[in-house]
Amino acid sequence: MKYWSDIEDSLKDNIERAIQLLLLVLGIYILIVAEKYRVAKLPVIFIGLLIWFFFRNKTKHPIVWIGFLILLIIDLCRAYFLVANHHFMLIFMVIPVIFYAYHKRSDILLKNIQMLLVVVLIASAAQKIMSSQFMSGDFYYYMLNRGSVFGVFFNFFPESLELAKSNKESVLAMSELDPNGLESIVLKDVFSNLSFISVIFAWVTVAVEFIVALALLWKPRSIWAHLLFAAMIIGILCTRLETGFMALLAICGIFLSNNIKLRLLYVIIVMACITLVVTKLGYH
Amino acid sequence: MANTPKEFFLKYGIPIVAIVVIAIQLLFVNTQSLTKWKGGGYGMYTGIHYYYDQIYIPGLSVDSMIVDNNEMKTVLGRLKLMPNDKNLKMAAKLVLETSEKDSIHIQVWKPEVNPENSNYTRVLINEIHLKKSEL
Repeated sequence: MKYWSDIEDSLKDNIERAIQLLLLVLGIYILIVAEKYRVAKLPVIFIGLLIWFFFRNKTKHPIVWIGFLILLIIDLCRAYFLVANHHFMLIFMVIPVIFYAYHKRSDILLKNIQMLLVVVLIASAAQKIMSSQFMSGDFYYYMLNRGSVFGVFFNFFPESLELAKSNKESVLAMSELDPNGLESIVLKDVFSNLSFISVIFAWVTVAVEFIVALALLWKPRSIWAHLLFAAMIIGILCTRLETGFMALLAICGIFLSNNIKLRLLYVIIVMACITLVVTKLGYH
Repeated sequence: MANTPKEFFLKYGIPIVAIVVIAIQLLFVNTQSLTKWKGGGYGMYTGIHYYYDQIYIPGLSVDSMIVDNNEMKTVLGRLKLMPNDKNLKMAAKLVLETSEKDSIHIQVWKPEVNPENSNYTRVLINEIHLKKSEL
């Protein structure tokens, strides 16, 4: 199978492939958010393009990466509390890649990516543990009853879809009323035993995030750690199309994995996420 | 392990900065009422999104106030993001300046759900009464 050997060859240099995909995701993200704070970004883009056009083969500096980093920092400075969490993660991934262009030490780059990934996963799990609304299952209960998670799968259960629509309409109608009236509405459960399912789902979410974080901290190259990590990414994508963030997590997987088949799985996830982002079916 | 301070910085510098950002986010969540969804603390999906919070101003429509008024949109957006006393006061001042009212009452309500009885309701998380004479 020539196609398979071509794919294998292409995935042998995982660092190069991961950097390539990160640049693609970064470029798309920058393009989507370019119109925000455009006055500040204008000179950076214009001068960056000129430098890239004339000097890209004559300088050792990663001009495109530095230019993109400046654009990310502009967004961060102007809207620190408004940018998405993966905006921060993108910055934390771009900086080590820029450093890598100078020191060329893959062990340093991979340690950066590993530790960043562990920090993000542990923080995410810890924040959930600290939230009573999450751990009590209230959050998932609300989201499921509105059809705001597992949206795609609701299409296979027409009755549940109708109930979710009806709940959404009731909530919307309530928002038109004066909240001081202290009214409440009764949500119709889209599935039976939903409150119990919500609590279990909340605890499973936290457990999986912690286990994956510890597995990647302990054995960042282990096939089992990566199988769990990839399953977690796919699970999150099934729950909600957080494609921008999941593309970054999958790129981290490409950086850290030693197994060609796992790298291929991560590449497929990244490509699927990119496709959903550019077609605006997924979140950027 | 890193052999030199330079190597240590290159290996762990960025993850340490990420931890500092998370610590700052937690500080803002606990002292400034910042929503957990924002601020780089990876607290998304830990609770109902702040988009569903409701700013209620008796006698005024928030939706019409933000149409064609970027300043109002920004100030009320910040209030939803961080419904603390400071942002409430800023919003109240701006609403008083742009409306013909002598006093203003602004409330921020948050959705709450109870799976035991399937009840969905709204709870008041912060409010302000401000008179024009107090400006």
